[in-house]
Amino acid sequence: MQQILAMIRKEFKQIFRDIPMMAIIFIVPIIQLFVLAFAITVDVKQIKLLISDFDDSRASREIIRAFGNTDRFKIVGYTHDLNCVRGNFQEWKAQMALIIPPDFSKKMARNLHPQVQISIDGVDGNTAGVALGYAQGILSQFGTEFLIQPQYRSRLKDVHLVTMVERMWYNPDLSSEQYMVPGIAVVLLTILPMMLSAMSLVREKEIGTLEQLMVTPLKKHQLLLGKLIPFLILSFIELALLIAIAMPVFNISMNGSFFLLAVLAFFYLFTTLGLGIFISTVTQTQQQAMFFAWFIMVFMILMSGFFIPIENMPQLLQKLTYLNPMRYFMYIMRDIFQKGSSIRFLYKDAVPMTIYGLLIFSFSVIKFQKRVG
Amino acid sequence: MNRQISVYTDQLTRRFGKFVAVDGVSISVYRGEIFGFLGANGAGKTTLIRMLCGLLKPSGGEGSVAGFDIKEKSEQIKKRIGYMSQRFSLYADLTVTENIHFYGAIYGLAKEEIRQREEELVSQVGLDPYMNQMTKDLPLGIKQRLALGCAMLHNPPILFLDEPTSGVDPQARRGFWNLLYETVQTGKTIFVTTHYMDEAEYCHRVSIMDQGKIIEMGSPSQLKESHKKSTIQDVFIALVGGEKTDQKE
Repeated sequence: MQQILAMIRKEFKQIFRDIPMMAIIFIVPIIQLFVLAFAITVDVKQIKLLISDFDDSRASREIIRAFGNTDRFKIVGYTHDLNCVRGNFQEWKAQMALIIPPDFSKKMARNLHPQVQISIDGVDGNTAGVALGYAQGILSQFGTEFLIQPQYRSRLKDVHLVTMVERMWYNPDLSSEQYMVPGIAVVLLTILPMMLSAMSLVREKEIGTLEQLMVTPLKKHQLLLGKLIPFLILSFIELALLIAIAMPVFNISMNGSFFLLAVLAFFYLFTTLGLGIFISTVTQTQQQAMFFAWFIMVFMILMSGFFIPIENMPQLLQKLTYLNPMRYFMYIMRDIFQKGSSIRFLYKDAVPMTIYGLLIFSFSVIKFQKRVG
Repeated sequence: MNRQISVYTDQLTRRFGKFVAVDGVSISVYRGEIFGFLGANGAGKTTLIRMLCGLLKPSGGEGSVAGFDIKEKSEQIKKRIGYMSQRFSLYADLTVTENIHFYGAIYGLAKEEIRQREEELVSQVGLDPYMNQMTKDLPLGIKQRLALGCAMLHNPPILFLDEPTSGVDPQARRGFWNLLYETVQTGKTIFVTTHYMDEAEYCHRVSIMDQGKIIEMGSPSQLKESHKKSTIQDVFIALVGGEKTDQKE
């Protein structure tokens, strides 16, 4: 016990004396939070819309007004030159063009299938799809309102309109921060403990103090506990800090239990701290350790569903994600924050995550030898 | 001879793949002795010391330190030895006092014990003016003394010093060796490797190592006499060949 405490005290002293390290530990994650939360947005808003109205009637102006009234579209220009559309797409000045043909209002009045054309820049397929959906919504709304105008009432005799009443569960504002921020916390709990523990063990290897510790009667578990407990504590402080900042700033709601979150985070840390030890056993220098950790990190993050929803991956890759411990914690974190799930719903992710954690951790501890060669 | 054996090896061997770093080394080091190991860089001195300290498993042969088998009882051995590696291996970002207290706690000493040992060491090793300095700011000679002090905190009967004075100026080296003399007076055994030939003259007995094998062993005066040379350096060059010595001075 005395030995473990001495190790912990020493480790904290070293961390707090290393100012650049402190900056990396406490400031970088906060910057990361702001950059990632603002940048990785799945919201499609302010789609740049070019208008080409050849009809110039009351009806066509009403459609344009409907597009202009929502913050999902931003009208960037009007033109009667269709070549201009191509030019604007090429220069990224417009993402979508609404073209209303000259006979639109006439056809509408005569009930002759009036048509408008929507052209979309499909380079970013996801955004294009969402934008198309918005446009459809606006146009069908317009059509419905047109039909229920008094002068057309007579035609409605046989028409029964189905109206959709939407209830968006768990994330009513469809805020992407509500989805991304818990993910960022998972990324933090992956990178920080893995990097810190790997780097700190390899650094001691590099400067020779690890060898010095190995010739003392200090037991392996004392050495590792003394090394890891400080990083465990730091990881929890970071997590608390991140949540404390993110909740008011991004208006994140936490619907589940903080206690459950902390318990499951603790089990997840077995995985990432274990990986840190593992990296330190297979590398000799901090550069090697950095590179190795980076490699593992990229794989874990890409395959966790952080950026790319796992459901959108090819079948084979979807199955591969089950090998990724981060995948489980990503689900757990998002579920706790958004759905407020209890362990009854989370155990399907919590059990494999814990098993991975214990396996990786014990494998690494066994691999870590109190010898040099 | 009725002397207690501190370190004993019989045909101790260590291979790294095909390379034989230590090749059938048999030695006996007695209590109270300064036993010097001479050899060029790469002769196998460090590998031998690492096996004796339990840092490396031997590939063959036998060995014991303080009466404990090096293969089976390395944890027992670790309680009874002090070790100083050729690299300076204390925490540069801790102060002198913090390093002493840290290693004291690691060796399981009680607080009062650490404080008492600290005081003894400070006067013995001459660290007084440096206690609250960051270790990285100390002159190299003082760092080596501190490293020796930390290796002796738990009062081990045997000390393994692997090129403890490499890079230290001659004056500081002289001081360091005086310290070693005082230490063996108290009945400790010192096992030291070096490639400074002048230091070999201070040892009670030396053995010369080349390509993993011991090629000569005896007291400095015996060696000089039998090879009819005036210094150990000349004996070494005659045995190993001048081009292999790594003379830093």
